[in-house]
Parts: sequence; C-alpha cells; structure tokens
Amino acid sequence: MIRIIYFLSLCFISISAISQTIVIKGGEIHTGLNQESFIGDILIEGDTILEVSTKPLKADVVVDASNKIVTPGVIAPDTQIGILEIGAISETRDGDSNMYSMGFSVFDAINPNSTLIPWNRSNGVTSAITLPDFNWDPLSGMASYFLLDGSLRVNGVPDVALTGEIGAVSSGSRAESLILLKDLLEFASTLDEKDISSSKKISEVMEDFEVADLMELQPRDVIALYNLLNNKLPLVIKTNRASDILKLIDIKKLYGLNLILMSAQEAELVKGEIAENNIPVIVNPFDNIPDSFDELASNIRIAASLEEAGIKVMFSESRTHNYHLIRQGAGNAVANGMSYTGAIMALTSNVAKSFNIADRGILKKGMKADIVIWEDDPLEPATFPTKVFIDGNDMDLTTRSSRLTERYTDKRDLPNTYK
Amino acid sequence: MKKLFFVLFSLIINVDTFAAFESTYEPLQSEKILFINGNILDGEGNELLDTDLLIADGKIIAIGKGISVDDKDVKIIDAKNKWITPGIIDIHSHMGVYPAPSVRTSSDGNEATSPVTAEVWAEHSMWVQDPQYALALKGGITTFHVLPGSANLIGGRGVTVKNLQRNTIQSMKYPDAKHSLKMACGENPKRVYGNRGQAPSTRMGNFAGYRKAWIEAENYLNKLEAYDSKSDEEKMVESPPKRDLRLDTLSDVLKDEILVHIHCYRAEEMALMIDVAKEFNYKITAFHHGVEAYKIADLLADNGICGALWADWWGFKHEAYDMVQANIAIVDQARGGKGCAIVHSDDERGIQRLNQEAAKARAAGNKAGYDISKARAMNWITSNPAKAAGIYDETGSLVAGKNADVVLWSGDPFSVYSLAEQVFIDGALAFDRNTGFGPVSDFDVGIVDPREDRVND
Repeated sequence: MIRIIYFLSLCFISISAISQTIVIKGGEIHTGLNQESFIGDILIEGDTILEVSTKPLKADVVVDASNKIVTPGVIAPDTQIGILEIGAISETRDGDSNMYSMGFSVFDAINPNSTLIPWNRSNGVTSAITLPDFNWDPLSGMASYFLLDGSLRVNGVPDVALTGEIGAVSSGSRAESLILLKDLLEFASTLDEKDISSSKKISEVMEDFEVADLMELQPRDVIALYNLLNNKLPLVIKTNRASDILKLIDIKKLYGLNLILMSAQEAELVKGEIAENNIPVIVNPFDNIPDSFDELASNIRIAASLEEAGIKVMFSESRTHNYHLIRQGAGNAVANGMSYTGAIMALTSNVAKSFNIADRGILKKGMKADIVIWEDDPLEPATFPTKVFIDGNDMDLTTRSSRLTERYTDKRDLPNTYK
Repeated sequence: MKKLFFVLFSLIINVDTFAAFESTYEPLQSEKILFINGNILDGEGNELLDTDLLIADGKIIAIGKGISVDDKDVKIIDAKNKWITPGIIDIHSHMGVYPAPSVRTSSDGNEATSPVTAEVWAEHSMWVQDPQYALALKGGITTFHVLPGSANLIGGRGVTVKNLQRNTIQSMKYPDAKHSLKMACGENPKRVYGNRGQAPSTRMGNFAGYRKAWIEAENYLNKLEAYDSKSDEEKMVESPPKRDLRLDTLSDVLKDEILVHIHCYRAEEMALMIDVAKEFNYKITAFHHGVEAYKIADLLADNGICGALWADWWGFKHEAYDMVQANIAIVDQARGGKGCAIVHSDDERGIQRLNQEAAKARAAGNKAGYDISKARAMNWITSNPAKAAGIYDETGSLVAGKNADVVLWSGDPFSVYSLAEQVFIDGALAFDRNTGFGPVSDFDVGIVDPREDRVND
C-alpha cells in the first residue's frame, strides 16, 4: 500500500511537472512582429508558448501582468557574455585564439557561472550571441548563441556565424584586407564535400592555395570556410566606411554570402544598396561620435534612417558587461525617429531571424517561452523587468549586485562582513 | 638709484603677476526671455510645476507663478508641458584632450612619462575644434570640467570650460573658476609604471608616491612663505626661491586654491586617500568613478567629499567589479541625505545623456528602498557638480542672480524620449533643435561633402 502511494505520488509529481501550465495575464503584449501591441494573455506549457490571445486564457498558474508590458526576451547580438569576466584581466578572457582563425569556436569557453549572465538576465536579456575578439582579420573566429539560463551544460547553438573585420589599419592597407578576404573566399569556393572529408584531404587542397599557407590555416579553419559558403553561415563583418560597405556588398554578391554588417556607422550613405541586398545591420544607436576617419558620417539617427530604408536593424552596445543597455539604445533610437515597434523587433525577432534562431524572438504559438514582463516601458532605462522567463522557467532575478546592495542598505549596526 | 631699483622691482612684480592663460570668455548676445508655464526642476531639490522663469542680461531674474513683465522687448517662450532645468554640468570629461577622431596625434590626455606631473595643465592639450563639444551641448551640457587622464599618481591641472566652442581655449575657460588637481589611485598608475619596471608597481608604491610629492610641496611652500614674510629691503637683495611648475601646482593645493579630484575605485583606497589629505592638510573635493563609494558613503559625507560616479559601469577592471546600481543613491542618502552625489560621464557618449544616467541611478536607488524625487536627482547633474567645480555661486541652479544657464526639454528630462530643445548659456541661446541653430566646429566643415557641413548630431 505504501509502495502504491509512493508510486502514485511519483506519478503526480511527474505529471504536474509536465503539464503545469502558466498564463501571463492581461499584459500589453509586444510580440516582436511588425504589429501593434495589444492587451492579452500568453499561455505557456513546459518550455513552449501554447497560445497568445486577446481572449482570456486559463492555466494552473496565473501571473498577473495587468498594467505591465510583455515582450519577447531580449536577444543581444553582439556580446562577449560567458567569455569575459573582467576586461583588464586577460586570464578571465577567452575571446582570442593563437592557433586557429575561422575555425575558432568560443562555445566551449562559455562560463555559465559568469556574473554577467544573471546581471544581463535580470535586465531582460534572455539569450545572446557571444563573439570572439575582433583583431582586424577579414575573417576570424565563430560566434555562438546561448541561453542566459545559467545551466551548467550550456544551452545553445555553437558556431552560428563567422566573424571578421574590414577597415582602417594602423599599418598596411585596407585594400590588403579586402584582397585577403577575396582570396580566402576564392579558396572556399573551390571546396566540395570530398575535400573536407578528412584531414589528409584538407591538407591536399590547402597545398594548392597559397593563402591557406600564408594564413597558417588549420583543417578546422578550412571546414569553417566550407560551411560559410555551402551552409550559408551568417558572416558578421565589422566595418564602418561607406566605401568598404560597398566593397563588401560586391563580395557578398559574388560569393552568395549571408552577410551581416556590424557597427556600419556610415551605412546611411549607402542604405539603398544595403536594403536592396537584404543585409541586416547591427548598429550602436548611442554612437554618434566620429571616432575615426572611417566614421565621419556617424550620427544619432542611424537606426531610424536604416529602418526607413527597409533594412533589418539590430543593436549593440560598446560598454562591456552591460549588454542589456541596448534597450536604452533602442529608446534613444526611438527618441531620434525610429518606430517603437521597429525598436522592439531590433531587440528580439530581427536577431533571431538574422542568426537563424527559428524558435525564439517572437511571442506566438509554438515558439519557446522566452518572455519578459516589464513594470513599465522597456525602452525607458529606468524600467526594470518584474519577471523573466527562459524556456518557460520563471528565472530568479538575484544578482551579485543586488546582493551587495542589500548588504550595504542593511541598517543593522554590524560590520558588512557579518550581514 | 633706489628709485630705479623700485621701478625695476615693480617691473619684475608685473611680469610675475601676469596671469597666463586667463579666461577671455565673452558670452553670446543674451536676450530677455520669459518662459511661461514650464515644469521646473531647479537644481536645488525643488519641482515647480506650471511655473515661469524670467532671464535677462545673462542672469536669472525671477522664478515663480504668474510673473508679468511690462516690457515689449521680452521674448515669451511657451514652456507648457515642457521641462526646464539648469544647464547640465559634467565634472569629468576628456573632450578636447581626447578628441574625435581618436587618433594618436591628438591623444593628449595623459603625460604618462613620470608618475607625478603636477606641472601639466589639461587646457594646454585641448583641441578647440573637437566636434564632441557640440554633441554634448545638444544633450544640455553648458559647462564641463576637463581632466588629465589617470595614468599618473598626480596627473596635472584640470580646467572648467563653458560649452561655447571658440577659437582659443582662453575664450572657452570659465572665468575665475579654480583649477582642479587630478590624482589617481589603484590599477592605472601601478600598471603604467610597473610595466616599465619603475615605481609605482604596487598600491603601496602609489601611496609612497603621493606622500613623497606632498612632502616636497610642503618644503617648497615653506620656502615661498619664508621669502614672502621678508621685508621689501631683504627681498631686494635676496632672490625668491626658484620657481618650480610642479610644486607651484601642489603648493596651490595646500593653499586651498586648487580643488582635488581623485580617480579612485576601491573603498579602502578612498579611506586611505582621506588620511593622506589630512596628513598634509588639504581637502579632497571629489572621488571620481568610485565604484565602491557605497561601501564608505558615510565616511564621504562626514568629510564633505562628493562621489562623482557612473550609473552602471563595471567589470572593465578588477577594482570596478563590485558595482551596484544604487551606488549614486546610497552616496546621496548617506547621513540622512547629507551626501554629495554626482553623475559624471568620463565618456563622450555618456556626456550627451547625463539626464538618462541620472534616471537610471534614481530608479535603482528607489528600487533599493529609497524615496528619491526627480528634483533631488536633478542636483546630481547640476548643483552638485557646480559645487565640485567651485562655481556653484554662479551656476548650477535656477536661483535669481545666478547665470542663466538653462535647458528647455521637450518633456520629462528623466525620460529617454525627451530631448534638449533649447540650451542657453549666460542667457544667450547656444543651441536650438527646432531651427538647427548651433555651433559647427572647423573639423565639420566640408569634410564629407565639400558643399556641406558634416552631420554632427
């Protein structure tokens, strides 16, 4: 009998774990799609959104979101979350490789216990692209995508994009970088499945191409090049000058690249061609400073201007650690002419679409339940999230920073080390 | 003969007392303006809704409800549903010394050739054509303080500047504002010099360096004072102590003529710096960056030291790791609200939106349990930095008699959507968002399209 009860209770626990449903009720929902917000309910089961509706929905657990704003979790497209702890301490940085170039994957370095994860999560970022360091190579390592759920076995997708950089260099010429890029792509275009089937084969094809030797490519670099062209891996190129952007558009057309522009401070000057070629652009909406002679056309209306041209916009934020500030950046973009809906899309669905993340970034049936409930307008920097769901899990929003705040606002007459 | 001596002597005195690099600032043509029915945050902790503000001859004349002016020449600005604040002041800027574009040839903020360079002055590095001043102006910045960088223990003199771009630095300098002395704690000086195998390479080396410099300054000041106390006859036969630029600056600190501003992150280092100041009998005006200021907020309040801080920067160095977003609020609220908190930028992007940074800091403080009004938080970017720059008697709040440094905002300045519509410096319009009126630096002229000015927004 006891055994039966035990068995039944086990069943009950497991059933409830599977079937418990949550409804986020009565919030102002911004779906992340190009549509007006509406008041409605979101039904979640497990890690998935079952329904989004303007009609009342029922569930086991009700989360009241009335007078609050509900959005998809923010997806930060340009971060080093997980591979950077303290900027000035190189031992805490894992963004650079001495051995590999295009084949360098940062995924295995991601530290799920990094303080940057709860910090950015508590500010509404639910997943992120983490990129290797840019070091002025036209093609360098691969970026990975992962969820900020703190899971010790990192939940994510390794190697979702290749990275590179074109522009002003302190020695040599940008022309050299562009030639190198073309040579590498020419080499990549000769590769077929057989060529990358074994290290031996790869070594053979590398012998025919001087650029492989010049760049000291390793077999995994060659595989990355193959994937770039044959699997249409997104290629994120950091660049600024209008003329460089045009060169990259020519190269994109020649090799059929899935190009994403990053920084692109002079994109406004060539926005027609960027739009025509369906190239998404990651911009820092704060950055109106002509930091270099590559960025003379930089100005605060870049996001609005690119949106108006029909370009898919995403946001980055230069200040390390606070990647969530792309939300304040989005607010500034709106203050300077971007549409509100467009700014929300830039924080969510535009990133998912650009990096082939099919099941996140939008609040609709069948998508993974990465959802943020905000106490007020999420584009106001003074607004905080009240709830953050990742894969349907109601995440704890404690951070090291909130713990220290509690300790130092505790008025008891004790040394801080005893609070 | 004796007469001749006196003539010669007074000539020498004249040469000696020529104040080099003095301000030649002239305001633009001011107007008599009545702002009606605006919402005012006055920089003194008051929120005054539907209130009028009258400015004339470059000064604030009156603030109150229903001000009537019997003067046909007065210009009326309808500020209904708009907000009015004092001009925003940034106490920590490197504009001009680290201008844009950031190229090596004009990167002039750190004289990183010796750990104590009290002899250098930031104003001698400033590029007046930096396009960044105009961007800051569009964010409501009417006054800013330019400091040398933090590579050195003692980096040199900082300067307070009116945000009216001109062709000489003298014509931008805030008249009669005291210099600051920039000092730096912690990682930067010990990294810069330690990497060269010279002192300081440790934090204890840093402290030895400060104290050594102050001992020299004390000796120098003693010699100067001993000479000053001599009779005119004695002075005629005895030459004054040899002038030393480095010790001139340091002894001016000891004479309370220069304000001490210290780059310092860690709580325990700030507490030690307070002791060094007491040992040599000078006052610290503000600690800058102070990511750990919240840990010693009461100590700062007890010593009348401001914390010039960021809303949320962290993690770029180990000493910047313990960030709390309530830092500014905790410093402000220390000892029952006796603290002096300042939101600073140290950044050419941040300086354009110090209002948003204050909004974040206030929200974080209130989340941590405080009840800080917008009016109080406005002090963090107006009157408190004015105090720290030693110019509070003239600017930093909207009080009758003070300079008419005023910003008219399109909405609540604590909202991301609000923009500075008009900015007045000494009662004169310096920027108008609606008409596009504003300064254009020589840098911006014809550099992208020769027929046009570079878009500097």
